[in-house]
Amino acid sequence: MVNDDADVVARVLAGDGEAFGILIRRYEPGLLRFATRMLGNPDAAADAVAESLVRAYRHLAQCRDPSRLRSWLYRITGNRCRSHLARRHTTDIPLSEAPAPALAEASDTWEVLERSEQVALVERALAALPAEKREAFVLKHMEGMSYEEMAAVTGARIPTLKMRVHRAREALLEALEEVVR
Amino acid sequence: MNPIDPRLQAALDGERDPAELPADLREAYALLISAAELLEATPPPRVSVANRVMAEIRQIPVHVPPHGSVRRVIRWFGRPRAVTLRLRPVWTLALAASLAAMLLLPWQQGSVRNPGETEGIANFVGHFPGARSVEVVGSFNNWSRGLLHLSDDDHDGIWHGAAVLPAGAHEYMFVVDSERWVPDPLAGRYVDDGFGAGQENSLLFVRPSAAQP
Repeated sequence: MVNDDADVVARVLAGDGEAFGILIRRYEPGLLRFATRMLGNPDAAADAVAESLVRAYRHLAQCRDPSRLRSWLYRITGNRCRSHLARRHTTDIPLSEAPAPALAEASDTWEVLERSEQVALVERALAALPAEKREAFVLKHMEGMSYEEMAAVTGARIPTLKMRVHRAREALLEALEEVVR
Repeated sequence: MNPIDPRLQAALDGERDPAELPADLREAYALLISAAELLEATPPPRVSVANRVMAEIRQIPVHVPPHGSVRRVIRWFGRPRAVTLRLRPVWTLALAASLAAMLLLPWQQGSVRNPGETEGIANFVGHFPGARSVEVVGSFNNWSRGLLHLSDDDHDGIWHGAAVLPAGAHEYMFVVDSERWVPDPLAGRYVDDGFGAGQENSLLFVRPSAAQP
């Protein structure tokens, strides 16, 4: 790839701050998706991702392996989300307690309505998981990471991560099967 | 919570062909995969943070490390080199006398300049047998490579160097062979690098020269 991460990082470190925009465009969607699933609140997720990206820019020279920038950015964002969860204010509404997302309009088909309900159900089941299991499930199944990359992001050992993913699947499956039955 | 059949976990981890699962496990497999796909394909409403981030980083002063050629010159002067001297025997005696005199004098800080009142000298020592290069990066040089090389003139695996730094606390790491970031095992104090994952930077405290005895 012409503009691979290491090249862009080198440009930024050489003084081309605008090149950081390439990295934002490249990783923002995934980081926002990850943070939103972790925090259950899109506004808090946007704050966490923005803070993480500014922090990444400030400390870019500390990125020890620019070819693994994605893992580094997810690590910073995950850390920021954990800090947020630790000091979470009571006014934040976790998804498990939030109203179902905007449901279909009356003109929508039953299939769309059914899908909205399914999304709400899965979101609630995911939000009910402990943060570290939720994180492991999201990184594995939504961000498509290998266990090795997840270890780089979370700092946890691979057997620990496998166990978290397995437990998250068990909890999700139990919640989903209750409804399906 | 009922444990999931290990065959199903292996299929979900991509280590087993889901088509080989018994019918009930295939059903559970499909349920979990469709749940994950449903979440992935239904991103929550969001607003891009790109403009906000770029506006903020434009306010941050740009640190540009020395230009490549400048860095090469600094490196050239900072690296140990073999120097061959061809001397007449009479000069050899004079040179030996000079060297003896230098060794008898109190140790000076080599090529490191004298620190100001609010500065001090930081000595770095690391044991890295077999290393081809060792350098120090830290908060004092904006974690930039190529600015503070250690040397191992006698090839005993002990690398050392010194620098004049502002008095106070500084975080740092050794970079071995240009790729391996290693905390200083002799630092004694460490601080979280702030990026999670439990990695730590070494911490040193530089005393101002005015406070030195």
